Amino acid sequence: MNRLFLPSEQPVEEALSGLALAHPGLLTLHEDPLYVTARERHPGRRVGLVSGGGSGHEPLHTGFVGAGMLDAAAPGRVFASPHNRQIYEASKAVAGPAGVLHVVKNYTGDRINFGIAAERLRADGIPVARVLVDDDLATESEETATGRRGTGATVIVEKLLGAAADAGAGLDELAELGARVAAASRSVAVAGRAQTSPARGGEAFPLPAGTLEYGVGIHGERAATTVEHPGFEQLVDRMTHQVADALPATARSVLLLVNGLGATTLLELYAVHARVSRLLGERGLDVAGRLVGSYVPALDMSGFSLTLTALDDDWAAHWHAPARTVAFPAQEAVR
Amino acid sequence: MTTDPSLVLRTYADAAHTAYETLTALDQLSGDGDFGDNLCEGLDRVTGALDAHPDEPPYTVAAAVFLDEVGGTSGPLIGLLFQELARAHAASPGEDAWLTGVREGLAAIQRVGEAEPGDRTMVDALAPARDALQSGADARDVAVAALDGARSTAALRARRGRASYVGERAVGHPDPGALGVALLFWSRARADGRAPGDLTDHLPALPNEAPPN
Repeated sequence: MNRLFLPSEQPVEEALSGLALAHPGLLTLHEDPLYVTARERHPGRRVGLVSGGGSGHEPLHTGFVGAGMLDAAAPGRVFASPHNRQIYEASKAVAGPAGVLHVVKNYTGDRINFGIAAERLRADGIPVARVLVDDDLATESEETATGRRGTGATVIVEKLLGAAADAGAGLDELAELGARVAAASRSVAVAGRAQTSPARGGEAFPLPAGTLEYGVGIHGERAATTVEHPGFEQLVDRMTHQVADALPATARSVLLLVNGLGATTLLELYAVHARVSRLLGERGLDVAGRLVGSYVPALDMSGFSLTLTALDDDWAAHWHAPARTVAFPAQEAVR
Repeated sequence: MTTDPSLVLRTYADAAHTAYETLTALDQLSGDGDFGDNLCEGLDRVTGALDAHPDEPPYTVAAAVFLDEVGGTSGPLIGLLFQELARAHAASPGEDAWLTGVREGLAAIQRVGEAEPGDRTMVDALAPARDALQSGADARDVAVAALDGARSTAALRARRGRASYVGERAVGHPDPGALGVALLFWSRARADGRAPGDLTDHLPALPNEAPPN
């Protein structure tokens, strides 16, 4: 028996139509090929922002389509890249006078399909650039050519770029800002139970009681290491320090994302958040903005990730700029 | 006077069917085994679309099919080659169109796939074909260069593409994507009446190792 409550035929199409029905004022659904576009757009925006990727990470990316964030998102099947045609058509639909910017999580399939769409857009004379998000510390290795995976920082990149695009930034400026935000962002994730395999219905991988998958990915891939559960405090301390240590030494002010991986409760996430906040304070880091919730889950995995972005220049203002999307919460002014 | 694009594509479809078993067997060694199916189905759709729209530029028709409808990653990458051949033929329909189209198509495929010559991908067939075109070789010698390039991948270990996940196990057999692309150049020579021998003479021996799983 499959624990996931999904129709056997076209689960992504069904879910997307349900999303669009729930938010008719925010989203327009396009069925063939499949993508959603924002109904509202800041008049100052000259570049269309487009993202996409495998499904199973909702609200990413469709929940961040709307005024102040993405102009379009193209969802693939669960944990699989969207087809280049979805990205191409979505990009053509929302390209501004200064072109279109792709926000891409660093996975081979996404890189290739967004790359093919970009070549098609260029052939049509539409300027296009790409921001690659690669924040996952667990996949930092000199040996692999593929680089760090893109995970939680995607939400932060999409929010900051959305505000900059609304301020009228051009394509090169946005691509450069996106690269800087990605470079200033690092994450690590831990799981206590795998997500349900959508194909088989059981847990995607076994994990003995009392152990944790440390450095787990968001597509059902296992972590490089399985560790004994060290207890709540030690676990949160280890993750917080690992991510904070990876930021530039000059970092003074950060954005913090405490992200649930799908089956972790807000009670847990808020408790994690309280401890992370204390630890960051002890390290002398000012938290200028924060999100707590399941923003980039891996279906129903039990676990959480921490993301920190070292702030620069006017990035805090971009974080607090208004956005009207399904999933990005209103940001209260700090102090 | 350039070779009739419609005839090149129809010849390519026939060649893909001739090579189907070889392409499938090679892809089962290093990929998910669907490359032969994707290539044949894609080219069958192209010939169907050429019949239905005889006035459309043939490489534009082929690009739309391969970019929009063909599965896997190799299919849409071949679609980029067609897209650039279409652009080059639209700009100047002489023999230079092949040089420009292949050069730009290869550049696009390398930008997207981030593969270099020697990485055991279709680039290993395209780069020698481009070099041959650049040096003024005729359709026959360009086809030989592409087929030799495809065969040379048998000695290479994959660093890009899905074959990189299986490493050594595919060594000894050529990359199916490289072979599949080389068939286009053989087909162009054939359409010109200058094929370097029968296609079957150029196909590698079928691997007799059992496919994974």
